[in-house]
Amino acid sequence: MNIWGLAAIGGLVGLDATSFPQVMVSRPLVAGTLTGLLFGEPAQGAMVGAILEVFDLGILPVGAARYPDSGTATVAAVAAYSLVPLHALDPGVLLLAVIFGLSWEFVTGASTVWLRRLNERLVLSTPRWHGRPGRALERLHLTSMLLDFLRAAMLSVGGALLGALLLKPAAGHWALGSEFAAAALTVAAATVLGALISVFGGWRERWRALLVGLACGSLLLLLR
Amino acid sequence: MTFSLALRLRVFLRSFAIQGSWNYRTLVGTGFAFALLPVLRRVHGSSTPALRSAVERQAALFNTHPYLSGIALGAVARLEAEGAAPELIDRFKAALRGSLGSLGDRLVWAGWRPACMLLALLLLFLGLPWYLAVGAFLLTYNAGHVLLRWWALHTGLQAGRNVAEQVREAGLEPLRDRIAAAASFLLGAALPLLVMEGLTTDPIRPPTALVAAAAALLGLRFGMVTRRPALTGLALVVAAGFILGLAR
Repeated sequence: MNIWGLAAIGGLVGLDATSFPQVMVSRPLVAGTLTGLLFGEPAQGAMVGAILEVFDLGILPVGAARYPDSGTATVAAVAAYSLVPLHALDPGVLLLAVIFGLSWEFVTGASTVWLRRLNERLVLSTPRWHGRPGRALERLHLTSMLLDFLRAAMLSVGGALLGALLLKPAAGHWALGSEFAAAALTVAAATVLGALISVFGGWRERWRALLVGLACGSLLLLLR
Repeated sequence: MTFSLALRLRVFLRSFAIQGSWNYRTLVGTGFAFALLPVLRRVHGSSTPALRSAVERQAALFNTHPYLSGIALGAVARLEAEGAAPELIDRFKAALRGSLGSLGDRLVWAGWRPACMLLALLLLFLGLPWYLAVGAFLLTYNAGHVLLRWWALHTGLQAGRNVAEQVREAGLEPLRDRIAAAASFLLGAALPLLVMEGLTTDPIRPPTALVAAAAALLGLRFGMVTRRPALTGLALVVAAGFILGLAR
C-alpha cells in the first residue's frame, strides 16, 4: 500500500471539506474515485464512492451542526476495500466496505469537532495579536489548516488499515449471494435517494418537476 | 482608495480558505480577517496600532456561507477604505451574519451541490464511464461555485453598505427555486434507473425492483427520517449474511 499517497489524498480530501478550497473533491464520489486511482482501480473506487454518495447526499452542513466528514471516511473505505484480495468477486466485502465507510464517518465527524475546539484554543492563545498582527493571524490560520490536513491524513490511513483488518477475514463468508447483496443495496439506496426530495422543498412543492423527471428517466430506461 | 485587480484577486483567493480556522468561539471570524488582510494592510499599513485594532475587530465572531463571504468581505473592505467608524462596521457585519449564511445554505448546500451531484449519478446510472461523471460534476459545480464567489466579492465592493439591497435585487431566491426544481427533475430521472438497474453490476430482478420502487416512494413521502431505518436495515442484512456464512 502506498501509505504516503493515501495520506496525501486523505489529507487533501479532508482539507477540502471545510478548510480549503471546497471544490468538492471531498464528495464521496470524487474521493472514492481518486482513492481508486491510487490503487489502480478507479471504476471500483467510483462505485463505492457513488454508493456512499447516495447515502450522504441529503446531509447538509447547515450552521454549526455536527457534520460527518464523509470524504475522509470514503478514502478509508475504498482503500480498505482495495486491500482485500479478489474483493470484486465477493459482494459481501463491498457491502461491508460501505457499512465501514458509513461508520467511520462518525469518527471523522468527531475529529472535526475536536479540531474546532483546538482551533478555539489557538485563537485564545494569540492574545490581542501582539507584534506583527498580520503575520500572527496568518500563522494561526495556516496552522489550523495544517492540523486539518494532518487529521484527515491520519484518519484516512488509520481507517484504511482498520477497515482492511475487518474486511479481510470476512472475505468468502458472505452467505446470501451477489444478487441478494445488490438487492439490499438497491432498496436502501432507493429509500435514501427518494428522501432527497425533502431537501428541495418536499413532495408537495416539487411534484411536477419530479414527475417529469420520472417520465424522462423511464424513457431513458426503455431506450437503452 | 481604489481596489486594483491584484488586490481583488488576493482577497478572492484568500476567501477560499475563509473556514480554515473555524472554531466554536469566533466561527469564521479569524478566517474573515485572514481574507481581508491584504485590504487592511493597504488601508492601515503593515504593523501599526491601527492594523492591530482592525485585525482584532475583524477576527471577532462572524459567520457566513463560505461562497457568499465575498459579499461581506467586499462591503467591509470598502467601509474600511472609506474610514467608517469601527462601531458601524461591527453593526453592519452583525446585520449580514445570519442572512448570508441562510441564503448560501439554501442556494448551494441544498440546491446547487445536490443538483450537480444528481447529474453525475444520473450519468453513472446510464452506464457512462466514471471519468465523465466525475468530470461533469467537478466542472459544472465549480463553474457555479467560482462564479458565485467572484460575483459576491464584486457586488460587495461595488455596493458597500448598500449591499443588502443589491443582493435582494440580484434574484438569488428565484434562482434557488429554479435550481431546486431542476434538482427535483434530475432526482426523478435518476430514480427509475436506480430501481431497475441497481448500483452494482448484478442484475435487479422484477420483485426487487418492485420493493425498491416502494422504498423510493416511502423516501419521497417521509423524507430524510427514512435514512436511518434504511441504513439500519442494510447493516442488519450485512450482519445476517456474514453470520449465516460463518455458521455454515
